[in-house]
Amino acid sequence: MRRRHALVPSLAVLCTTALAACAPGGTAPGSEPVEPTAVSTILGTEEVTLSLMSTPESGEATKKAIAAFEGLNPNVTIEYEQTNYEDYNKSLNLALSSSTAPDIVLLNSVGTTVKNGLVRNLDGYAQAYGWDEEVPTNQLAQWQVDTDGTTLGLGPLYAAPAGFSIVGVYYNKALAAQIGLDAPPASLEELTAAMGDAQAAGILPLQLGNAEGHAAFPVQLVAQAVDGPAEYSAWVYGQSGATFDTPGNAEGLDLLADWATDGFIPDDANGTDLQGSVAKFVAGEGLFLVDGNWDAAKIDDGLGEDAGFFAFPGTTTTGIGTSVAYGISSASEHPDVAAAFLDFMQSPAAGQYQWEQGFLPVDGTELAPEEGTVRADLLSAWEAVNDADGLVGFNANASPTMNDTFKASTQEIIGGRLDTRGAIERVQADWTQTHG
Amino acid sequence: MAEVPGTVVDRPRDPGLRGHRSAPPTRITPRRAVRRRGRGTALLFLAPAALFYGLFVLLPWLHSAWISLYEWDGIGVATWVGFANYVTVFTEPALVGAFVHAIGFIGFYTVIPVFLGTVLAAILAASRRRGAGLLRTVLFLPQVLPLVAVGVIWRYLYSQDGLVNHLLAAVGLESLTRPWLGDFDTAYGAVGLVGTWVATGLCTILMLAGIQKIDPALYEAARLDGANRRQEFRHITVPGLRREVVVATTVTMVAALASFDVVYATTGGGPGTSTMVPGMMIYQLVFTANRVGVACALATVLSAFTVLLVALINRLGRER
Repeated sequence: MRRRHALVPSLAVLCTTALAACAPGGTAPGSEPVEPTAVSTILGTEEVTLSLMSTPESGEATKKAIAAFEGLNPNVTIEYEQTNYEDYNKSLNLALSSSTAPDIVLLNSVGTTVKNGLVRNLDGYAQAYGWDEEVPTNQLAQWQVDTDGTTLGLGPLYAAPAGFSIVGVYYNKALAAQIGLDAPPASLEELTAAMGDAQAAGILPLQLGNAEGHAAFPVQLVAQAVDGPAEYSAWVYGQSGATFDTPGNAEGLDLLADWATDGFIPDDANGTDLQGSVAKFVAGEGLFLVDGNWDAAKIDDGLGEDAGFFAFPGTTTTGIGTSVAYGISSASEHPDVAAAFLDFMQSPAAGQYQWEQGFLPVDGTELAPEEGTVRADLLSAWEAVNDADGLVGFNANASPTMNDTFKASTQEIIGGRLDTRGAIERVQADWTQTHG
Repeated sequence: MAEVPGTVVDRPRDPGLRGHRSAPPTRITPRRAVRRRGRGTALLFLAPAALFYGLFVLLPWLHSAWISLYEWDGIGVATWVGFANYVTVFTEPALVGAFVHAIGFIGFYTVIPVFLGTVLAAILAASRRRGAGLLRTVLFLPQVLPLVAVGVIWRYLYSQDGLVNHLLAAVGLESLTRPWLGDFDTAYGAVGLVGTWVATGLCTILMLAGIQKIDPALYEAARLDGANRRQEFRHITVPGLRREVVVATTVTMVAALASFDVVYATTGGGPGTSTMVPGMMIYQLVFTANRVGVACALATVLSAFTVLLVALINRLGRER
């Protein structure tokens, strides 16, 4: 008995010391952002195998680009791996800090990946390959991260865009014809008027699935239409002094509440996910659907020539978008080869694959979509937004938890449980926690 | 579910006695030495299990408790914050709300299933008709399905054009149809009922096994004394199932407090935060919010609370 009594405390002491020795963290490849080493644009003849991680949405075009790149460089093999979007974002940091880290990774947001030095600073490659000249400045901004690890639009580049996404408004031309709408609305007032006409004609004005919080799209687009893209960008990028408390956001949230009360959106919006809403839109339920280019192929297949797309109107034409951008792991042993692949993804050939997949390419000079199709609409919307310098990053990316905050807040607004003021305060409180 | 408190375990025989029996007859071994050898052998047999339990259950638990004292984003350098994360767990409304929801789930996962299970088992045991075996299998089926699959199935059943609404419309209750999981008023109950659906089968099977252990002579005696079915149930079946009730309550209560799969697959904690439970919250804190310390604090509080509750149930359920 005496022996056992002695054992317990000594075991406890042992455990505590063992645990103290392995205080969490600090095991990442580099806790400081990795400074670029000498870069080279020359590919050797050495046999190199790289691994690349992506998601299904962005992956098809990448797979084709890999095949083409491997054809041009027979000594390079790129192994492709994919995970669905939600799980991808959750496992990315773990994968990058593991001993079998992939070489090239899709970055959906900067998150804590850059802060912890898990991906390389690409400034050297950007200069060597001239990415900073080929890609419009506002498209690179969301991959430039300041030294605090959270403010975007300033500082070194951490990912190279391969294709772009844009969120705008899909519309059903057959339903539009029923209410006499023969051209896309040219202002926010015209858009809301068309929604009213649809309601009066017994047509659901706006298809919406908010189980995952996608009501944040229309809220952001309305806000940008009112406030302008520059102000919204500053907030999304976490630049100091920015606030969510603007007339535009208030109007966007007010409209969402009105739509819910007036039956302008489906009753089960909070119980339907984005893909569910796309399926319903394709089945003819809804005049408008606010969604991104990634669903263009599905909507084209489903609605055919009845499918249309336009950029959100306002004082400035704006869109929400980001790029399908790839970064290079800090642990990669062949960053030069990886960078050569990133550069290849900006070529016209790879741009074709992006376009086939529904993304907007870096170099779109060789594209000629068929007139009158949703694809042609998409390209002209993209050009209109770029001409107005109106592309803004996703509001849900403004902080690590912003997606959940928008999800809960918009669901509560639709359910009549939260007012605009409460939502604005909650969103800004979340923002302050990260960008203070 | 590996170790179920309340089950009957054979008591180890007194090691001293066994020592005496195996001791050489010519020499009297001192009692102490025998004791020690017996204990050594016992420890040797315990070692593999203890090692695995220690490595894969106790150590991770201690490690998680340790992390809960830090502010950590999961990758970078951690900062010691003492008990600040615990203060957060008990003060941040979202975290407290998740706890309240989990405790409420005990009603759906434990109270209703144990009650229903006991009644169903009594009915099943009493009727010797054909098809009882089939019914047992059907009742137990939800327990066999992976919970994520259960969640996905129910998400379809509960959707606006799902089976639940179709059935309601078919019997003229159109006014009640709604997107059950998207509605703030119904989502919590709807998710809870999925738990009831899963746990009832388990409880029924447990109770059925228990009833078969009750001495038939008791029922016979009661019948001779003129007791009816309900009185039999009340005075023989229910008291005879005391041990099974404790097991069923323990298992389902742990499932209620640790619920994650069904919530994740049906609502993800929404709409708003109306179905948020600690399991889901921990997942979000770790993977989206990068607040690993707070997540570990929540996990530690949750596991301590669960252990306390289970201990309490077992104490209450002990036969007097």
